[in-house]
Amino acid sequence: MTMSSPDLIIQSEELAEVNSASSSRGWYHWLLVSVSALFALVSIAFVGSIVIYSLPAWSHTGTLLTGNGWQSPSGPFGGLSMIVGTIETSLIALVVAAVVGLGTSLAIVFLVPGRLRNIISTFVELLAAIPSIVYGLWGFLVLAPWMLKSFDPFVNKLPFASAIFGSPGQQFGPSLLLAAIVLSVMILPTFIAISREVIAGVPNDIIEASYSLGCTRWQVIRQVVLPTAKIGLFGATFLSLARATGETVAVALVAGSVANAQFHLLYPGTSIAAWIATEFGEAQGNEISALMALGVLLMLINFSFSLISRSLVSRQRKALARV
Amino acid sequence: MTIIDDLIPQPESTSTRQAIQRAVHSHRARRVAISRVMMVLCGVALVLTAIPLVLLIIQLVSRGASQLDATFFTKLPQSPTLSSPNDVGGVSNSIIGTIALTVYASIMAIPLGVLTGVYLAESRSKFASTLRVIAQTMAGAPSILMGLFGFTLIVKYFQVGFSAIAGSFALAVLMLPVIALSTELAVRTVPDTLREAGLALGAKPHKVSLKVVIPSAISGIVTGCLLAVARAVGETAPVLLTVGGGYINQWRPLDPVSALPLTIYSGAKSEWPAQRVQVWGIALVLVAFVFVLSLSARIWAARKQKRNS
Repeated sequence: MTMSSPDLIIQSEELAEVNSASSSRGWYHWLLVSVSALFALVSIAFVGSIVIYSLPAWSHTGTLLTGNGWQSPSGPFGGLSMIVGTIETSLIALVVAAVVGLGTSLAIVFLVPGRLRNIISTFVELLAAIPSIVYGLWGFLVLAPWMLKSFDPFVNKLPFASAIFGSPGQQFGPSLLLAAIVLSVMILPTFIAISREVIAGVPNDIIEASYSLGCTRWQVIRQVVLPTAKIGLFGATFLSLARATGETVAVALVAGSVANAQFHLLYPGTSIAAWIATEFGEAQGNEISALMALGVLLMLINFSFSLISRSLVSRQRKALARV
Repeated sequence: MTIIDDLIPQPESTSTRQAIQRAVHSHRARRVAISRVMMVLCGVALVLTAIPLVLLIIQLVSRGASQLDATFFTKLPQSPTLSSPNDVGGVSNSIIGTIALTVYASIMAIPLGVLTGVYLAESRSKFASTLRVIAQTMAGAPSILMGLFGFTLIVKYFQVGFSAIAGSFALAVLMLPVIALSTELAVRTVPDTLREAGLALGAKPHKVSLKVVIPSAISGIVTGCLLAVARAVGETAPVLLTVGGGYINQWRPLDPVSALPLTIYSGAKSEWPAQRVQVWGIALVLVAFVFVLSLSARIWAARKQKRNS
């Protein structure tokens, strides 16, 4: 990133002020300020309107956070299965995507030859732009039947599998596990696009210095590249996590949309965002405010993740600037 | 190797020396072996990533391409009946709806987003830095929340009802921070010498901004706008809660409209096989559109950059 140095900005703005001294600021400045104020207003309304419409539901905060089961249209509305479903699916997806994605980024930077590397990087960024509904469609119409036919019978033969996946003989196409798989495929391009950039941004001279000391390629990666890129990689992880927890329609298609979850991976379940999308069409009165309250929960989760990831990424930028 | 050999203190007895050298060399062999194994694992990860994503693209193209004919683009959807289970019609209403939604959302989001971005880049005020944090947070917010916002504000509070304008408002809120942040980045990369030259010639600050800074940053600004449009076109969750759907060609702001991602969402769950096949065609159209948009944005930006340097 090429940033103009702060001193120069100050100088040019001082010049600007001298220049427009007569008419103090000018219409253009006020246009920019008022448009930006409008943007701020929209953002405040964004948070405010969802919170205000959710207010009636917070009189049953206990049920909303820990109750299992969603009795529309009159309640009680329990959010436990959505909360647990969100955590289960996005954590599995994140672990898979982070491990496989980190390996892939390292392979792209250190194994793939130059010209091919650019092609793969562009392709990965294009994949990250594919609408999530397409990943959901693929999971629903291709992966779900495949899992029903091949994967589930295989898993059910394994000993102790029932403890994690559900009792033997329980066979569903859509399930929390399928949602986790689709999510991990979906966030892989996002994770790789960022982590590849972070890894490629590690200064070449310290890499070459380590090679010249006799380090093997893995030692360079392990002891030089990964520590230098560490914070940025955490940032990529939180960004992917934010995307996974907020994903709506893909999960709504493949998780099975069941609010009375058993929490086993092969049973159908749902997530916060997916449940809002599933139920909203027929919701009335109290149910709408309960769904809005789920939206507030999702907002809290997402905003905290993006705060963490942003501070990590900017710390990485500063650390790299010092090297 | 020689460095390591030199670093080892040289004992008198040759047998000890050989023993140490053997140890060092076997250690090196182990390091090389570990490195090989780990790099192979990285390669395996690359293949593991490629398999589902390449499969997805192949299946998308092979199942979707056969659906794209004149009927698909120009006819209205039909509900299949038992006697004619394959008569599903086309998706012209969703195409028109998506175009209308995207145009309205762009009209709302692009001017606002670009001006906000210019402000973020040129101002050093406390308000600007707060606004930047807000924009970054909004840019990462789940799209379903934009849907809830469009529903509460436009559908309920302003009592407009389910309509194209509610959906495009939700999409515009989604596009705004993306456009603002990419505009800010583009404007910041304009060298200050250009600004100073303009001011030194006696131009008013707004002239410098409008005639010098924004034209030199235009490729970055347009790229950001195109990427935001590409994202808005494919979003399902915001329109799901706001546009209302429908089976006729409608495009006016207050009409309830349909949209391509919405038709995928409902068609995938249909019990008619012909409808479940048709959605692959819609998905292919969406993905092709997104790819063309982001590739052309990329190529254009690269060409512009080459010309500038």
